[in-house]
Amino acid sequence: MSEPLLLFRGIEKSFAGNQILKNVNLSIYPGKCILLSGKNGSGKSTLLKIIAGLETPSKAEIEFSGKSHSWKSVIRSIRKNIIYLHQQPYLLSGTVVSNVAYGLRFTHLNRTQRSDSLKEALEWAGLADVANKQAKTLSGGVQQRVAFTRAWILKPKVLLLDEPMANMDYESRMQACDLLKRMKSEGMSIVVTGHDADIFDGLTDKHFHLTEGKLES
Amino acid sequence: MEGMLISTQQALHMLLTGDSELWSIVMLSFSVSFKAIILTTPPAMVVAYSLANGNFPGNKIVLAVFNSLLSVPTVVIGLLLYVLLTRQGPFGDLRLLFTQTAMVIGQMMLCFPILVALGYAAINAADRRVKETSITLGAPWWFTMLTVLYEVRFGLLAAVLTGFGRIISEVGISMMVGGNILGYTRNITTAIALETSKGEFAQGIALGIVLLLLAFMLTAFLTYVQGKQEITA
Ligand SMILES: Nc1ncnc2c1ncn2[C@@H]1O[C@H](COP(=O)(O)OP(=O)(O)O)[C@@H](O)[C@H]1O
Ligand SMILES: [Mg+2]
Repeated sequence: MSEPLLLFRGIEKSFAGNQILKNVNLSIYPGKCILLSGKNGSGKSTLLKIIAGLETPSKAEIEFSGKSHSWKSVIRSIRKNIIYLHQQPYLLSGTVVSNVAYGLRFTHLNRTQRSDSLKEALEWAGLADVANKQAKTLSGGVQQRVAFTRAWILKPKVLLLDEPMANMDYESRMQACDLLKRMKSEGMSIVVTGHDADIFDGLTDKHFHLTEGKLES
Repeated sequence: MEGMLISTQQALHMLLTGDSELWSIVMLSFSVSFKAIILTTPPAMVVAYSLANGNFPGNKIVLAVFNSLLSVPTVVIGLLLYVLLTRQGPFGDLRLLFTQTAMVIGQMMLCFPILVALGYAAINAADRRVKETSITLGAPWWFTMLTVLYEVRFGLLAAVLTGFGRIISEVGISMMVGGNILGYTRNITTAIALETSKGEFAQGIALGIVLLLLAFMLTAFLTYVQGKQEITA
C-alpha cells in the first residue's frame, strides 16, 4: 500500500473521567474507504469528530509526510481537508443552493468558478429540481444528499461519514451508496461508521471494530 | 373623578389631533432608545456568543455577574453615570450630563446585561451541529458565529425586543442624566412624571396610552417571534 495520507496515533478521550477511547491508532490512505463498526455509545462519533477537529482529544498525535505532530498544533490546518458529516445532517436556514454553496466562500475560487462548480454539484447530485426549495422542508433522504453535496463541492481529501445510512429507506440508501462510490472514485478517502457491513458492499477496503475504547481489525 | 374624565378627553384629543409637543416627546423617546438598542446589540451578541462557546476559565462567573446585573435599579445606573459625567467627575470635560447622549449611554448600560443574558440563553439552546457543520465546511470563527446567530435569530430578536421594552419605559436614568429638558431630553416617561407632579394629567395620560400601546405591541410581536423560534428550533 502507498503512504498513508494521515496517521492518527494514540488517540485518548475521556468524558468526565469516563474513558471512551484508549490509545486508538488509525491510518487514512488516499482513495481508500474504512468502515468503522461498533455498538451504540462505543465512541465512533467521538473518534470521527476528533479526526475532524470538532472534538478535543485528551491526547493524540498526527503523522504526515514522515513527521509527527501533536493534534493540537496541526489540527486547524489539516481540518481544512477533512469534512465530517453528521448522522442526521443539519441543513442551515435557506435554500438548497445556499446550503451547497456555504463552504465555497472560504475557498480560493473566484465568482465564475464558484457558480460553475455550484451548477456542476447540483447536477452531480440530482438536486437541480429542488435547488431553490427551503432545505429544512425536504425529506430526510434529500437532506442527506444536500449534506453530501455541500461537502463534495469542496473536494476534501478526507470525508468522515457518521452512520450515513441509519435513517434512510432503501432507495435513498442506493442513491447515497452511489454518491459515495463516485466520491471514492474521485480519490477521496472515506471513513464511514455503521453497524451493517452489507450496506457498504463494494465500497469499503478495510473494516475496524471499536470495542471498549480499542480499535480491532 | 370628573377632572379625571376631562383630562382623559383632553388626552385623546391630543393624541388624535397630533399635538406637536406630545409627538415630539414620543419621537425623542424612540430616537434615544433606538440608538441605545442598536449600539448595544452587536457587542452584546458577541459577548453572549463567547460566553456560550468559549471555554475560558471564569466563564460561568462572568455569566453570573451579568445575571445579577439584570436587577440593578435604574436609579443606581443613573446615579453612577451622573457621578461619572458631572462637571467634577472623571468624564466631566465631555460635557455630556443632561444630553441625549448621556441618556443613550445610560440605556445602553441598562440593556446590555439583558441582551447578554437572554442572548446567551438563545445561543446556548442552538443545536451544536450548527457550529460543527460551519467549522467542518471551512468557516473562520467569525463566520461560524454569524451562522449560529442567524440560526437562532428569532430568539435573539426576542431578546432585543425585551431589551427595547425595558429601556423605552425606564424613567430613572432619563430623569437623572437627561434632566427632562423640554424639546431636548424630555421623553415619554420623564414627561409623565413631571406633568403628573404638576397636576396636569392630560399630557401624562396621553403619553401613558402611547407607552401602553407600545408595550402591547411589543408583547404581541414577542409572542409571535417566540412562536417562530419554536417552529424553527
Ligand atoms: N459531549 C459529551 N459529553 C459527555 N459524554 C459524551 C459526549 N459525547 C459523547 N459522550 C459519551 O461518549 C460515549 C461515546 O459516544 P459516541 O461517540 O457518540 O458513540 P457512538 O457514536 O459509537 O454511538 C457515549 O457513552 C456518550 O454518552
Ligand atoms: Mg454516533
